[in-house]
Amino acid sequence: MLSPLPAAKWDYACAAHLYNRAGFGGTPAEIEALLGMGLDGAVSYFVDYEKIPETEDRPDWAKPDPARNERVRDLKQMPRQAMSSDLTEEQKQEDAEKRRKAVQEIQRNQVRDLQEMRGQWLQRMAQGPRPLQEKLTLFWHGHFATSAIKVRDAYFMWLQIDTFRRLASGQWLDMLSAVATDPAMLVWLDQAQSRKEHPNENFARECMELFTLGEGHYTEKDVTEAARAMTGWSLDRIQEEYHYRDRMHDAGVKTVLGRTGHFDGPEILKIIVAQPQAARFISGKLWKFFASESGEPALIEALADVFRSKDNQFKPLLRAMFRSEEFYAGSVVGAQVKSPVHWLVGAIRLLERPMPPPIVSTEMIKSLGQDLLMPPNVKGWDGGLSWITTNTLLARYNQAATLVLGQGNLGAPGGGRPGQNMAAQLANAAARRMDPVDVNSIVSLSDRRDAETLITALGQRFMPGQLTDQHRQVLRDFLGSRTEFQDTDVRHAIRLLMCTPEYQVT
Amino acid sequence: MKHPFSLQTRRDFLRTGVLGGALSWTVPAFLSNTFSALHAQAAESATQTATGKDSTILVVLQMAGGNDGLNTVVPCASDDYYRARPKIGLPARSILKINDYIGLPPALAGFKDLYDAGHLSIIQGVGYPNPNRSHFRSTEIWQTASDAGKVESYGWLGRYFDNACAGADPTVGVNIGRQMPQAFNARTPTGISLETPQNYRFISGHRGADGEMSADEKSFRELNQPAPEDAAMENSGATIGAIGGPVAHHGSVLDFLQRTALDAELSSDKILAITRRVENQAEYPATQLARSLKLVAQLIAGGLPTRVYYVSQGGYDTHTNQAGQHQRLLQELGDSVKAFIADLKAQGNLPRVLVMTFSEFGRRVTENANGGTDHGAAAPMFVLGDKVRAGLHGQYPSLAPADLFNGDLKYNVDFRCVYAGLLETWLKTRSEPILGRKFTPLALV
Repeated sequence: MLSPLPAAKWDYACAAHLYNRAGFGGTPAEIEALLGMGLDGAVSYFVDYEKIPETEDRPDWAKPDPARNERVRDLKQMPRQAMSSDLTEEQKQEDAEKRRKAVQEIQRNQVRDLQEMRGQWLQRMAQGPRPLQEKLTLFWHGHFATSAIKVRDAYFMWLQIDTFRRLASGQWLDMLSAVATDPAMLVWLDQAQSRKEHPNENFARECMELFTLGEGHYTEKDVTEAARAMTGWSLDRIQEEYHYRDRMHDAGVKTVLGRTGHFDGPEILKIIVAQPQAARFISGKLWKFFASESGEPALIEALADVFRSKDNQFKPLLRAMFRSEEFYAGSVVGAQVKSPVHWLVGAIRLLERPMPPPIVSTEMIKSLGQDLLMPPNVKGWDGGLSWITTNTLLARYNQAATLVLGQGNLGAPGGGRPGQNMAAQLANAAARRMDPVDVNSIVSLSDRRDAETLITALGQRFMPGQLTDQHRQVLRDFLGSRTEFQDTDVRHAIRLLMCTPEYQVT
Repeated sequence: MKHPFSLQTRRDFLRTGVLGGALSWTVPAFLSNTFSALHAQAAESATQTATGKDSTILVVLQMAGGNDGLNTVVPCASDDYYRARPKIGLPARSILKINDYIGLPPALAGFKDLYDAGHLSIIQGVGYPNPNRSHFRSTEIWQTASDAGKVESYGWLGRYFDNACAGADPTVGVNIGRQMPQAFNARTPTGISLETPQNYRFISGHRGADGEMSADEKSFRELNQPAPEDAAMENSGATIGAIGGPVAHHGSVLDFLQRTALDAELSSDKILAITRRVENQAEYPATQLARSLKLVAQLIAGGLPTRVYYVSQGGYDTHTNQAGQHQRLLQELGDSVKAFIADLKAQGNLPRVLVMTFSEFGRRVTENANGGTDHGAAAPMFVLGDKVRAGLHGQYPSLAPADLFNGDLKYNVDFRCVYAGLLETWLKTRSEPILGRKFTPLALV
């Protein structure tokens, strides 16, 4: 188990596979470069990402805003004041209207900030210097699936993603402790409201069921007792930060997972992480995300052994996984459905084009079934085959046209809503404008000499190892027997390749 | 099997049908479920053929945002109602009376007409234990039919699809809207979701002449057909026999994708063809909900053998200045559904269709300071159709302050009893495996 891939087997296909899974795919030139590093060098390029300087892109708004929060608090108190005071009916109406407008504005700002944040994150995934760090951040976002719909605070969402990124390949207990006191999580699973008189079990339950152990590896009693221990973890909503409230904490004796004592929250997390099942659970989930939906128990056990023997650090686990022969098995390579985020980011990388404007990229992945920062529930996205429905598949095919041909070259996408006035429609169109792909960065002039050469070049980039004779034949018929191909011919051929079942897997 | 076709029919279809030839064991789910309807001649028949012919249809209508049940089915004889709602309480004299105690607001005149015609049933006081006041969570509870304390991934309709899959029943549900409702989440994803038929298709990058397939679309179709080498298998009887049978996804990821691609192409063609061919037989108002229902009526008339349709109407989160807004919403609801029922009646399909409405929660009994209402709990549901047991079901919850829980109405009908009733008596399937345990089916039909 987990023996490294023999050097002789390390080839272009392996390098492409590693690029697909540890990152979001590579161009032929990038894959060649990775191939040249050898297996260990290539794995190290992804895993030891701290060696690569980090980019800083913290948005202006990503900080606490006490003034705004006080305003929100006051707004919430306004109706009560209005009730008690002897304002005229008219004044009350005016007050209500003012309040409604203010709340609306705050909500609009949140939507705008979240959109900017999505855009930046997608940009990092596509062109940032540390592909694995971003892929791991995406993994953690799906694992500790927290939605902005309930959190309703863009800064909290930003802070949580930043935490995932910082601790992405570090130590399990560090990550778990940070998440337990993370403001977005405190809101998301109601821990901030949990007090000793009425412990809220939401976080304690999901922590064991979905984050660390899995169903069947703890009892109902463990949940209620852990919830008692975790009381006190709370939030300062004005300062927008974690705040421990001792008077909410239940200091009594608890029994959790076979241990008894005057436990507090951090001690419970230690007890959980020390369970052998905790190592198995997270190792299995990482294997599933990076390698395959199916993993033999013996393989997961071997990964968990590595994890435990290295002080529950993720980096050695990832290194062992990416070097292992199992990771390059025929049942693993090319057998994963691209997530919508992977689909978009991968396409941007292969097309060597700029990321669409945030408003477009946000809607794009949403139409494909993955609303970043808004996972469907605390279980996160199911992934795998569930990404694919007739609707999302057609959406992939049509979004491919937008990415390759640009916005405005099609009848339907883009455009304003009916009933919008002309100025709004123009503004809308401007915000969504996208140039077509620059074909010259994808194929050389000599690649365009004849259909055969062009098809080979495109196949190698967009569907390495997947291009069938049928694909070739269809493209040959489509391109015809000309000797020089226009940019638009090449673009249409690329779009067609992206409109195949084969392109949807990685 | 419910819809036996001769092998010859199948072979003819395979040769002459949309695919124009090759078909392997990766028969698309949609095709296997709509085999006959896709046949060129069968598609012309006015009512649902094959799987859908004698089958009943359920249309689920989501009122998203938390509908104010008290101003929808108004307890106009309750003093507590007017005490709790001095500003937004609807005057008793304007109420269209159902009985001495309750009635419908004028905006729901459409529903009153349907009630008088025996097409409407009102289920009063529907909810679930330990109600959750979060839109997000409560919607999830209704969509998955889970207990309040348990998070489920699969939707109740998705589990119906999964379950019906074991037999020869059609399994495709159709959602009108951008996002697939969680209710459709299934182990074997089956539902299709479309906003407009015009976008539910491969959109060509070429501007070709009208009525002529563009070059890229032609290539697209070829790329999304099973590989020719699989066609050899067409001659084996076993392969042909598999068509129409239960759909299983034992194949590789790629097989699944190929099958879905074919499903997409065929369902897209079918739906576009129906919407071009079938005319609605009633006047609908010009609203979004009406547009959705109009499309559903077309699809039913056009013979799409779907048993579950899903439409939604948003905007019910009426925290401020509720009066006008809520009235507009109910007007849209009543008028759209009334037109839909009239359309189905004219088609002759009404006896096969039921509409069920739901919302994630009702609203607080006492109005707030902004002329609106905050998130609450129990509320009424409507079930409409020809075969429905019209009238009132359940009890109207008491509005007496002492009877409220945290200012909310207490439910007396668990919504899962409504689901159970529809599953058992309308869709004719056992509800227990779908709802996770036994709920007493409400006698709705």
